[in-house]
Amino acid sequence: MPSLRSLQTDVMNALLSGEAGPAAALIALGGAAASASPARRLEVYRNNVGANFIDSLHSSFPAVWRLVGEEYFRQVARDYHRENPSRSGDLLHVGRGFPAYLAKLHGADQYRYLADVARLEWLCEESLLAAEHAAMDLERLRGLAPSAYAALRFDVHPALRLFESPFPALRIWEANVAGDAEPEPIDLGAGSDCLAITRMRLKLTFHRLSRGEFNFLDSLRGGDDFSEAIERAGAGDDAFDAGAALRRFAAAEVIVDFSVPANPPSA
Amino acid sequence: MDERGEATMRPEPMPASAGIGLRAQHHLEVLSGAPRVGWFEAHSENYFADGGAHVEALMRIRARYPLSLHGVGLSLGSTDPWDRMHLEKLRRTIGRFDPALVSEHLSWSSVGGRFANDLLPLPYTEEALRHSSARIAEVQDYLGRQILIENVSSYLQFNASSLTEWEFIAGVAAESGCGILLDINNIFVAAHNHGFECHDYLQGIPRGAVQELHLAGHSRVEFEGAVLLIDTHGSPVCEAVWDLYGAALRRFGEVPTLIEWDTDIPAIQVLEAEADKANALRASLHAVAA
Repeated sequence: MPSLRSLQTDVMNALLSGEAGPAAALIALGGAAASASPARRLEVYRNNVGANFIDSLHSSFPAVWRLVGEEYFRQVARDYHRENPSRSGDLLHVGRGFPAYLAKLHGADQYRYLADVARLEWLCEESLLAAEHAAMDLERLRGLAPSAYAALRFDVHPALRLFESPFPALRIWEANVAGDAEPEPIDLGAGSDCLAITRMRLKLTFHRLSRGEFNFLDSLRGGDDFSEAIERAGAGDDAFDAGAALRRFAAAEVIVDFSVPANPPSA
Repeated sequence: MDERGEATMRPEPMPASAGIGLRAQHHLEVLSGAPRVGWFEAHSENYFADGGAHVEALMRIRARYPLSLHGVGLSLGSTDPWDRMHLEKLRRTIGRFDPALVSEHLSWSSVGGRFANDLLPLPYTEEALRHSSARIAEVQDYLGRQILIENVSSYLQFNASSLTEWEFIAGVAAESGCGILLDINNIFVAAHNHGFECHDYLQGIPRGAVQELHLAGHSRVEFEGAVLLIDTHGSPVCEAVWDLYGAALRRFGEVPTLIEWDTDIPAIQVLEAEADKANALRASLHAVAA
């Protein structure tokens, strides 16, 4: 009699490959459906496993589904599944590697925007599932001496994601994510994206960013203090205005908190 | 947050009136319409997120209705080490929503780090019985509460099995101290696919262990001239399953019952009507017994 471990291994191999293999010999026959063979019985499970995986990808990447069509999406999803079986009891995670997989497939052809749309969809999904956080207490900030600002560490909202693309990915996504109407054609040369994705209360929101603003938020979320973030933001963007950026992102609930260092450097 | 305090909190017991499976497309209707159902059951993994609209909606629904959390991804019967992250998220989710009941499936879905994300049947052997019982006991220790385990639908069984499914599930409950969530539709589906008597199954399950019943629809699929029943949860409960439900109520008494519907999800009123039907059947049996 096979051990439980070896039985499970044989069955999993049968479900994730196309072949029944040694699992077929483990399966009993009987019941009103006695004539259904072990291979057919395994196929019921294999179909379920594949369908659940593809449904999960579809729900994470609805715009990619619409852009490439159901048939091609299913084909790519099946190949992706074969190379990247689920590693978690929660199917939500299976889409994590899908944008990179699309980049590998289409990174050098006329569909190279697909991977960026997929990356945008995945970041939206992450943002929608992130923890809640209250808006920043501006009164507390106003109570500080201006000299204390440089050393402050600002916290960004847990739902903040930053996104860059040489394509108008957000416009492509918006045109394809919902609705039945045939989307208007979008010129791939019509602008690049530099975005903050976040959630205002429970709704996904997008903010278009200048180069300086992008670097500023990227620096803050990496743990740099205010002066370091300003320096990084200003390095590539002469027009960057730190005070305006702080006001904008506090109002938009992108920056949501700050901490005063325990021992401010004596400068 | 005081996790210890949350874990020892005693939620109110589940009412005997029927509940329905909560699906995200009904969140807003449940919150605005206050449907007349006794309770809701949510899939635990669907509320594992740190935050967001679904978590928020379930918080508000929980404030108005008793709740059961029903896991589909723990892979209880697997021979892999535990997915600690999954267990921790389950514990956090229980702490957040304070459910009256927590359940998982008596099945496995992973080995060697690869997940099928489906409810795969176990071989009904002494080894699998000991293994599953020990795993359930570990989960109960970790969560600090009893869980219920559900019998799954199955389309294959293993030559290695030396026990019937009902002997296996009764043995696991006795050894681990867990309760049983008996899915009446799954018994019907498995009985057809494997050729056993549904009533033998009911007789084999100890009376006191059953704390919840599930009802759902299934479909028939023809394979190589043979008909397999598939647990699709995409149609009303069929008459034969209602009959079997009556027999289960007579044997197990007034047990909280859930209507499940997961594919081609209908308007919530259709689910309410199914719950009404379960309530009417329970009331008629109760009236006869009284």
